Amino acid sequence: MKRRQQGILTGMPFMAHVSSRSFVDDAGRNIYLAKPPVRIISLAPSVTEMVFAIGAGDRLVAVTDFCDFPPEAAAKAKIGYSNPNLEAVMALEPDLVLAPKEFLRPDIIAALEQLKVPVFVMAATTIEDILAHLGTLGRMLGHPAAANDLTMNLRQELIGIKSRMEKAPPIRVLYVLNSQPLITVGPGSFIDQLIRLAGGVNVAAKSAAPYPRLSMETVLLEDPEVLIFPVGQAEGISESEQRTWRQWTGMTAVKAGRLRQIPSSIVNRPGPRIVQALRMLAEIVHPELDLSSSVNR
Amino acid sequence: MAIPTSQLAPVDSSPIVSPPLTKDGVEQLQQWKNSGAILTFQRWIAIIGSLLVVSLALCLLCLQFGATKLDMGTVLSTLSGWSASGALDKAGTDTSAVIMLHIRLPRVLTGFLVGGSLAVVGVTLQALLRNPLADPYVLGVSSGAALGVSLAMLFGISTTLAFLPALPLFGFIGGLLSLGAMYRLARSRGRLPIQSMLLAGVILNAMLTALIMFITSIMDPNRSAGLIAWLMGSLMVSNYGILSMFALYVVGGASLLLQKAQIMNILTFGEETARSLGVETERVKKQLFFLAALLTGAVVSVSGMIGFVGMVVPHAVRMLVGSDHRVLLPASMLAGGMFLVAADTVARTILAPSEIPVGIVTALTGGPMFLYLLLWRKDQLV
Repeated sequence: MKRRQQGILTGMPFMAHVSSRSFVDDAGRNIYLAKPPVRIISLAPSVTEMVFAIGAGDRLVAVTDFCDFPPEAAAKAKIGYSNPNLEAVMALEPDLVLAPKEFLRPDIIAALEQLKVPVFVMAATTIEDILAHLGTLGRMLGHPAAANDLTMNLRQELIGIKSRMEKAPPIRVLYVLNSQPLITVGPGSFIDQLIRLAGGVNVAAKSAAPYPRLSMETVLLEDPEVLIFPVGQAEGISESEQRTWRQWTGMTAVKAGRLRQIPSSIVNRPGPRIVQALRMLAEIVHPELDLSSSVNR
Repeated sequence: MAIPTSQLAPVDSSPIVSPPLTKDGVEQLQQWKNSGAILTFQRWIAIIGSLLVVSLALCLLCLQFGATKLDMGTVLSTLSGWSASGALDKAGTDTSAVIMLHIRLPRVLTGFLVGGSLAVVGVTLQALLRNPLADPYVLGVSSGAALGVSLAMLFGISTTLAFLPALPLFGFIGGLLSLGAMYRLARSRGRLPIQSMLLAGVILNAMLTALIMFITSIMDPNRSAGLIAWLMGSLMVSNYGILSMFALYVVGGASLLLQKAQIMNILTFGEETARSLGVETERVKKQLFFLAALLTGAVVSVSGMIGFVGMVVPHAVRMLVGSDHRVLLPASMLAGGMFLVAADTVARTILAPSEIPVGIVTALTGGPMFLYLLLWRKDQLV
């Protein structure tokens, strides 16, 4: 990470005059863009979705292997994911690289800095972060109006779901990221926050890690009322793995037959479809509540 | 299990023109005979019997620990209630009984079988290769099995084939294929030279590990986390059906290996000596080697890559009971089982409600144990 220049006498961080062209990213780095970038590389599926959502998808010159939404993203050039090919990145002559904080090797960011390619690091840990990112990208890419409309709509829908869920009785939820060994989501993870917003209580709430290997004994003791399995094309929990959960006949979720699926690509990505993911989760956790009266996009 | 008498292996009826005993071999034979470690039936019973009792006590003790601590009374009454009713479904309502019978007990049993198998395979390979570093990982069989599982996960294969879950099956196939490759590579003129076997194993291991790394690097990070967690070792077996199949396999494989104890004794004096004593070394090597590989494939496909058990346990047991394989094999099996059950109990409880991969516990406890032996007991390391 670059040291910021220190003021000579004050020892205070040197205050660059913050123009509308300079942006501070989630790694605390300051980047200055003289004009809106037109050759952008996205290094995360969630980021790709954001750029498309604010109407700047045409400026993406390359995305990751896992960027499959919107369908136009799948047609873009591919550049790897956690270990992108640096030469390929340079060959595309990007004027901006949008990088996620997780999964990306830190030395890649350092190398791009060396090569004088502007890198903007994004780390979304809450829904608020995502909305803020959308706003920042809007200003960065010269689409502020579109970004504002989008965040406004998302925020309204979010408030609608939240207010309904606050009154709902808490339901105990287990979110199965991986069956063998059992890995779930814990405090500090994005999905844990979504479960709470959707009126659920995560049975792994006492875990110390964001993605703990939870012991099966704890699961039975906490007795989840709903099991949620992320499913997707080459990821997620397979049908046969889900069936093995039915052997726990004493578990409330199994007794009630509440083993539910959710598309992993929507829930796992901190992008613009996150409110849609929240709505899906809320409908799984509280099917008795009618959510259709809140704004439906 | 029949206890082999202390006679040497029966010599084939065909007259064997054997090379004369090497001087070295004769000396070793004399040493072995004079070492006072002549096995008596009483001694065998005493060692194996006491280890059995300790194993049983340890397993009962470990059944108490987990997300909730049960007292010994509950453990025993649950077990006796279950064995009285004989039906597992009876436990469907009482959570602590379900936890004990469907989570802890299968885990302890799996741990015992996996640890025991790894130790027995370790002893076998050490005798076969006359190399104290030999363990199930050296030959590349376990990385082959792990590659099979990784591929199944990469392509999202989730079918059940012949009532077997896909992942163990793929692990098994991967293990067998890598074994076949190793065999073809190492064989020359119908023989299996030990040097080329070790070399082929080490190189295959490196290549297969690289392929596994490659797979994790192209996977969606959300998915590869699960694969990496599995590779680090986990003793969670989803049901008693799989466990009983695995148990049949392990008991079969291990008892076949135990029957070969006397031959392993002879093999440790060197192949020349063994041949001069009428052992068909090539045939025996192939048999032992296949049994070891099959057992390893089964173990890896059930529990992932758990290291150190096959290397550390046989050495420790050798110090306690000597190097007569008729005692060493069964004693290592019991000790390996105990070691892994204890390690898994630590893995389950140390960070409750989370678990840590049992492979980490075995490496962090087994490693220092081995280094201690190396530092202070060099003379006793075989």
